[in-house]
Amino acid sequence: MPVLCKAGCGKNAMLKRPKTGDALCKECFFWAFETEIHFTITKGELFKKGDSVAVAASGGKDSTVLAHVLKTLNQRYDYGLNLMLLSIDEGITGYRDDSLETVKQNRDDYEMPLKILSYKELYGWTMDEIVAQIGRKNNCTFCGVFRRQALDRGAAMLNVKCIATGHNADDIAETVLMNILRGDIARLKRCTAICTGSEGTIPRVKPLKYTYEKEIVMYAHYKKLVYFSTECVFAPNAYRGHARALLKDMEKIRPTCIMDIIYSGETMAVKEEISLPSQRLCIRCNFVSSQEVCKACVLLEGLNKGLPKLGIGKSSKAKKMLEEYNAKQKSSLEEAIKDINDECKKNNCVSKGKVCRSSYKSNQSHTAQVNEESHSKMDTCCNGQCSEKLNTENETNLKVQVLLKEYGLSESELNGQTSDKLTESCDKAQTLEMDDDDFEIDTHSTGKELIEDDDSCGGACGNIDSLHIGF
Amino acid sequence: MICRKCNSPGTLIIRKEYCYCDECFIFMINHKFRACLGKNKTLSANEKILICLSGDACSTVLLDLVYNAISLNNHKKLRVVPYVLYIIETVADNEKISNSIIEQCKSYGFPLTITNINEYNKNFFSNKEETESQNSYNSKSILSNVTSSIHRDVMMKIKQNIFLKISKELDCNTVFTAETTTSLATKLLSNIVIGRGSQIENDIGFADKRDRDTRILRPLRDITNEEIEHYIQIKEIKPAKAMHNKLNETSLQSVIKNFVMDLQENYPATISTICKTADKIGSITNNINKKKCVVCQSNLDNNDLNLTAVDATVFSRKVSLRQSGESKYNEDSQNIEENNLMFPFIYQSLCYCCSRNMSELGNNKIKQ
Repeated sequence: MPVLCKAGCGKNAMLKRPKTGDALCKECFFWAFETEIHFTITKGELFKKGDSVAVAASGGKDSTVLAHVLKTLNQRYDYGLNLMLLSIDEGITGYRDDSLETVKQNRDDYEMPLKILSYKELYGWTMDEIVAQIGRKNNCTFCGVFRRQALDRGAAMLNVKCIATGHNADDIAETVLMNILRGDIARLKRCTAICTGSEGTIPRVKPLKYTYEKEIVMYAHYKKLVYFSTECVFAPNAYRGHARALLKDMEKIRPTCIMDIIYSGETMAVKEEISLPSQRLCIRCNFVSSQEVCKACVLLEGLNKGLPKLGIGKSSKAKKMLEEYNAKQKSSLEEAIKDINDECKKNNCVSKGKVCRSSYKSNQSHTAQVNEESHSKMDTCCNGQCSEKLNTENETNLKVQVLLKEYGLSESELNGQTSDKLTESCDKAQTLEMDDDDFEIDTHSTGKELIEDDDSCGGACGNIDSLHIGF
Repeated sequence: MICRKCNSPGTLIIRKEYCYCDECFIFMINHKFRACLGKNKTLSANEKILICLSGDACSTVLLDLVYNAISLNNHKKLRVVPYVLYIIETVADNEKISNSIIEQCKSYGFPLTITNINEYNKNFFSNKEETESQNSYNSKSILSNVTSSIHRDVMMKIKQNIFLKISKELDCNTVFTAETTTSLATKLLSNIVIGRGSQIENDIGFADKRDRDTRILRPLRDITNEEIEHYIQIKEIKPAKAMHNKLNETSLQSVIKNFVMDLQENYPATISTICKTADKIGSITNNINKKKCVVCQSNLDNNDLNLTAVDATVFSRKVSLRQSGESKYNEDSQNIEENNLMFPFIYQSLCYCCSRNMSELGNNKIKQ
């Protein structure tokens, strides 16, 4: 026997609301769903009349429903909001490219302007490229950190008063659990706030904070909204999965637990005697950060230096890693210069002319330059990407060859050979010297050190502590 | 396999990493127990303490640790006068368990009190100020009809009240419970999940100071279940009740317990992380007028937040019933009425979770 709609409209109920257990028909559900979000917006004082609001749109169900409902409520209750869509293109093939098409559809359907920012243009890296570097673990760290900042940048470009995100009740409950498991007190404190953002930054608001994911799916389904439902291709490896699995298991037993967890989060507080990192601005990029240099900058630095694990884990580790890296760079540079100097001195001893001395000078400066160049090459070179590394080595070898030619020149001049013979002997000398040349060895050792560095980090990150890391 | 303390051959490995010999291990556990009591500096000399047993391995170890500490004959001697309490909870097997506990206490020479939880069940419900109607119901049958998640929570609160009651009868100002790191991690997550987040400080921290006269202390809070198992093996102690079996019932607590046991297996560091978090969490209510929940004695949360999950849930119910016209959805008079259905006595005499429990118990009553 069909159940009647509890709202008393006389129609048959079509769904049971997880939050309250009440059975409702489609129309009454739509009304309840929208009115609840209206209640959240007005009671929580999320917007002011006339505000420009950027809806963070991914093309997924949450942001699609958020855009739809905000547009509906904006008209129904005359919020006077100027709504626009803001999307971030992480550069994930097979996921974001498709979902952005959905966002474009939303733009046309809801008649809102759309701004798309890409990781590539902001940071010079796509997620695909980052994953190629870091591997399948920890890549959500990069994506999450970069996206948060990208949203800030996008909002600043659009000149909006606040950003509305599609975080739903399930997401927030999950985050509470996750922060407990990680012992992340600072985030635990922030994560249930409906409006976040310190002074000088653009606040984020969560109008769907009290809306169950299930209801969002049902709303989108019955309203026939177009949304993109594929999970991110990299997400299955995220640690968040643990907290999510636990929450899903518990929701089956007691659907209200999601609200209970949010209530717990809302009424918990960090004890006064516990010192928390204060939020400030990153000295490099001027966006919000809890450290002197923000996570996004650290991660980016790591990527550009060929130390992709740099930003993973504690910031103290990162500092150490960077120091070691710099020390190694410096020492290998010094060694190389020293070797060259020794070599030149030897040559100097053999040679007795002014030509030689000048060539020693130019050699020295040139060598230093080449060394620097080879190091900057190493910087961008990835340890994981072997093909690129080989290229770099070849390039370095080229430089070495050029250098050798100059060496050969001074030697050959001493020997008084003709130019034709000179090149010949030069080539021979090159092939011979290639194997045990100082420069060659030097670049090798730099490469090895880099790899070792990377390995030690991989060891530290791969052990039990990884639980505390990969978010 | 070399003991990391004394370099002699090790006999056991904890957390898959640290190797100990029997002697050093037992010494370490004793030290952890004493350090936990010592660093909190709460016990005065010759204080009477009530040790609450459940009969499982943890409480048996607690008994042994206390016995060892008071039988010392040097400056480290623990100067307390122990009493023991055992609460009979289930009908099945309880004779065997109580006999075994009686034996243990005899061998240690500790005075033992045994009481049955059913004697308190009824009183527990009649304690509530505004629940006259509940009195006529057999509390046991009420409890057997609610979901096991609530059942477990209510049982825990009942037991806590019995601890306090007996301790007062015996004139003890301090109660010891045998909760370990592992069980506290489970309890913390359970607390969060049922809406008791703001009570974590007292429910999971070293000392529960909600009662004005009696403190409940948790001296095993730095010891894991894994260590307890090694301890009883080495000392050849036979606990009255087995522990650690994965629960088959479907309650939030059982899901969490299984989750935590899984963590212990694969990410042992997470357990202590969870417990350390508990030390840093307080409540947003700096409740100066000290309104307390009549069931769990926790400070009541103030109703001065702009928007909470309570408001959202109450409003959800309201719109589901189409009770509110679009224009008057925030009328206060209606709010209170609704509050009483979904959250009876919230902010007045019950905390969020106890209020939710009450609402579910009430629903059951209507069904009967």
